[in-house]
Amino acid sequence: MPRGVGRGAEPPSEEISEGPRLWVRLALLLPFTAILALFFTVPLVLMAVISLSRQSFARFEWALTFKNYVRFFSDPFYVGVLWDTLWLGFLVTAAALLLGYPLAYHLARTRTRWKPVLLVFILSPLLVGIVIRCYGWMILLADRGLINGTLIEGGWISRPLPLMYNQFGVGLALVHVFLPFMVLSLTGVIKRIDPALLEASMTLGASPARAFWEVTLPLSLPGILAGSLLVFSLAISSFVVPILLGGFKVYVLPIIVYEQILSVFDWPFGAANAFILLLISLGIITGYIKVAERALRGLV
Amino acid sequence: MTLATGNDVELRGVTKRYGPILALDTFSLQVGAGEFFTLLGPSGCGKTTALRSIAGFITLNAGEVFLKGTRVTDLPPHRRRVGMVFQHYALFPHRTVAQNVAFGLRMQKVPKGEIADRVEKTLALVQLPRYAGRFPRQLSGGEQQRVALARALVTRPTVLLLDEPLGALDKKLRERMQVELKRLQREVGITTIYVTHDQEEALTMSDRIAVMQSGRIEQVGTPLEIYECPQSAFVADFIGNINLLRGTVIGHAEHQAAVDCRGAKLRIGALPGAVAPEAVMALRPEKVRLNPSEPLDNDLAATVVHLVYLGDSVLYHLRSDEGIELQALELAQAGGVRHQAGTRVRVGWRSEDASLLPLTSSPLPRGERLGEGG
Repeated sequence: MPRGVGRGAEPPSEEISEGPRLWVRLALLLPFTAILALFFTVPLVLMAVISLSRQSFARFEWALTFKNYVRFFSDPFYVGVLWDTLWLGFLVTAAALLLGYPLAYHLARTRTRWKPVLLVFILSPLLVGIVIRCYGWMILLADRGLINGTLIEGGWISRPLPLMYNQFGVGLALVHVFLPFMVLSLTGVIKRIDPALLEASMTLGASPARAFWEVTLPLSLPGILAGSLLVFSLAISSFVVPILLGGFKVYVLPIIVYEQILSVFDWPFGAANAFILLLISLGIITGYIKVAERALRGLV
Repeated sequence: MTLATGNDVELRGVTKRYGPILALDTFSLQVGAGEFFTLLGPSGCGKTTALRSIAGFITLNAGEVFLKGTRVTDLPPHRRRVGMVFQHYALFPHRTVAQNVAFGLRMQKVPKGEIADRVEKTLALVQLPRYAGRFPRQLSGGEQQRVALARALVTRPTVLLLDEPLGALDKKLRERMQVELKRLQREVGITTIYVTHDQEEALTMSDRIAVMQSGRIEQVGTPLEIYECPQSAFVADFIGNINLLRGTVIGHAEHQAAVDCRGAKLRIGALPGAVAPEAVMALRPEKVRLNPSEPLDNDLAATVVHLVYLGDSVLYHLRSDEGIELQALELAQAGGVRHQAGTRVRVGWRSEDASLLPLTSSPLPRGERLGEGG
């Protein structure tokens, strides 16, 4: 964006540092780039090649065919699983946003000296190992678990509520662990919104709710964007939680990939599955960024 | 000076406590229609709290707020119809200049065509006619200030509240904006309450000034009254540069008092009413004459201790033979500095140029006035 240089514009600062020299910057980038190239890009390319190969009678053959992809999209089961995976990702993201926003707002605005403690509370799901966390939820959610057990004992219900081995249980456990990513993404952005902006909108006649809608929410969009992308991509690639709390009744693409590669030994089809998930989530993320950017620019 | 008939803004006995701190202490204020009223004081004196209680951002512990005679004490900010300009402008960064200005009109559900028309007119008023499509970050500080002003004015509020709006600008721009702001205020004729800690700003723009300290008003008056007849040592000291000499009142007639200061007998102007035995004499440096051609009421022998050359004037730091420290301001002569450091001079001033103030800084009862008056 060109900066206004109308009357009274401040002269540009002359102390803009040019930063380190080019070769220093390249040298600093090299280690990470090398690791990424060696252990990420190469396997990814390999996987792409494998996904175009053929498996016949449990024997792997190099080839160049789109058969695996055709098979995926012509089988309603796999398309259904893809849809379920994306839908689960959407639900988890939406829930994390709705639950996380008030939390993040409070964390950004509070002046209590207990703020570090609040932060630890918010990060606490990440401090517990994934398997332990899942078994914790199982104790709570199982048919004879704490919640159902108590409700049945108390005579409020006769049959256990379906809390686990379904999308609800998986979603709940995913929201629990991904909430910190959403909250932290939002907190930083909300903290930078000048409270005077809200006051200004109120003196101009906006009710508190309207001021939130017109000022706070649009200005927190970068945080909503970052948090949603994080949570969505983590949720659709999650594997352990859907297995433990879904009990193979909730199928998501990562489980299919796992089964194809480690149980069925159909590497090409497994690789194709993984690639489809990758490409579709990339597509969704790109679309989301585009829409959000437009919203950030216009906003009326 | 506008008299308080049909006040646009009135505060009655407003009290606000923040924990143990009393930000406003039974604070009362009346601002007349069309008046440019300034709340002046050091940081922490409660001036911003007073402004924010008019806007409705503060829940009061006691007292009432009236706008145009209507009690608004319990009304939330968005229903008070005040316009406010914030210290750092608080422009909506995600909206263009035109959208910023249109915001208040949109909230009032003004028809679209009228919004466009009024936004355009108001932007012309603040001399930013071709800036409608720009974003705040593309504007300089002074330009953002004008947009903030346009945004506050376009809704035709009952009162315009300005919270140190020029604080973030550099000196030259600040002086230009002072003139501009005053012109605008007069043109629109809007009642304005201005908060600042800058006494020069207060003196140049205001119809009336309230000097505040510790949540109370020390003195209300026109800039001339505040400068010429400060009613307390605090006001005298806060506005401009002044000599404050502590002494004992030894004689007291109808139009003159004599004060003993370190053994020197000083004569001071008219004093209706009783005076405490211990008092402070206030004397502006520009009223002090060095080597006066004719004898004045007060006459001391002194030495120039130090001098500050200010370009258009010279400030002399003097010590009299009795040990009284005084400052004297003289316009720079053609020859520049008249007296060098170390020179002996005679120091004089007329008794009516000095005023006698009570020792404490607490405000005097209303109407009682010390000094020469008017």
